[in-house]
Amino acid sequence: MKIVAVAACTSGIAHTYIAKEKLIRAAEALGHTIHVETQGTIGTEDALTEQEIKDADVVILAVDIAITGMERFEGKRTVKVPTSLVVKAPKQIIQKIESELQKS
Amino acid sequence: MKKVLLEVKQHLLTAISYMLPLVVASGLLIAIGNLMGGQVVTKMSQLTIPSAFTSLGVLGMGLLPSFIAGYISYSIADRPGIAPGFLMGQIASFLGAGFLGGIIGGFVSGYIAKAIIKYVKVPKWAEALMPMMIVPTLTAAIGGLLMYFVLGGPITYITGGLHDFITGLDQSQKALYGFVIGAIGCIDYGGAISKVPNLICDGLLLEGITGPEGIKVLAAMVPPFGVTFALLISKVIKKRIYTDQEVDAIKVAFPMGVCMISEGVIPIAMNDLIRTVISTSIGCGVCGMISFMFGNGSPVPSGGVFVIPAMSKPLVAVAALLIGSLVTGVLLVVLKKRLTEEEARNNVFTDEEEEVDLSSIQLS
Repeated sequence: MKIVAVAACTSGIAHTYIAKEKLIRAAEALGHTIHVETQGTIGTEDALTEQEIKDADVVILAVDIAITGMERFEGKRTVKVPTSLVVKAPKQIIQKIESELQKS
Repeated sequence: MKKVLLEVKQHLLTAISYMLPLVVASGLLIAIGNLMGGQVVTKMSQLTIPSAFTSLGVLGMGLLPSFIAGYISYSIADRPGIAPGFLMGQIASFLGAGFLGGIIGGFVSGYIAKAIIKYVKVPKWAEALMPMMIVPTLTAAIGGLLMYFVLGGPITYITGGLHDFITGLDQSQKALYGFVIGAIGCIDYGGAISKVPNLICDGLLLEGITGPEGIKVLAAMVPPFGVTFALLISKVIKKRIYTDQEVDAIKVAFPMGVCMISEGVIPIAMNDLIRTVISTSIGCGVCGMISFMFGNGSPVPSGGVFVIPAMSKPLVAVAALLIGSLVTGVLLVVLKKRLTEEEARNNVFTDEEEEVDLSSIQLS
């Protein structure tokens, strides 16, 4: 699977980046490619490119708050999960998404 | 229903995320100003450098209701929601019910703006006027009337009641509430749950009640201080409880903790979640109990150990922080399993996961 993701938590200094790391490690371990954008207190970092979004099979929104740039994902399959869950079980989330995608 | 609640929570958290830097900057300005003997001044002729800091900080705190309302409204209705949301916050300040008023005002203006965007259809030539003029003006007008004439009364009544309730607590009640606020305020180390009691503390501060804010500031430092104490104690009694990697993480977590950022504890807690959360929650509770019971309060919502001198009873604050952290440290040493030298060296942060319920996750 090709995945793009956005991570954003409330204080924007810790959970955001932990979620990013967890997603990347889990996705790579499962053999997927992933790009993760973070929207922390510092602002947007590692912004997703148009091409990355276009190529992606699914958009994972690991967000607890409203994020900017949602219009970029119009028409894409998206899934929204709280950062706390991503930190706890990134692999299970990705596996679940994969099976859901295959079903439809 | 659950979905609605989740949405409401997301709007609140969004507002908090925009509000935090304002609170931190304003709070520190007040603390620095106060420490140098500054006061709030209203005339240019009275200005000194310390007073400039204090006054600016207080002005910043005055923006809080607007930030809350504005960004709740933004989270609901996107950009057109911001301006009317800020206006609702101003009404909240006028009502003398800054915090609760700000939250309610934000939801009021957000949902009005969203409804207008959805249901008000204008001819093509007027479309550009929608986000610029029609949505903000109409939202502000309807929301403003609602806030002034319908919601204003109840909001000030509730805020007054809360004020009387907190100031009327006796010693044992203070101990109980202090414990609860302290414990919940750090339960997920700066995560989404802890933001709720912390938000209430910030709200009470706006009403001039400093006690709960004192708990919040001190208790937030207990988890990082606590794991540091645990490390020190475990070294003294030669019971190895942390791996090399965790020791490194503690070395990062401690200075973060000094600045009141509890998040540094997360990677350490993750490896042994239940024992760590129990230990830190009890420690935070004890810290909150001591601080609140002995009448310590913080006029500053953020800044860690640097604002302790600005608190109403700095010695109580130091005692609360140290005792709470010590309790956490001792509990960790007692509860955690002894590691062999080999385990301590080899253990990397594990990639193992617990089974979690993913039924709520849906693709759309």
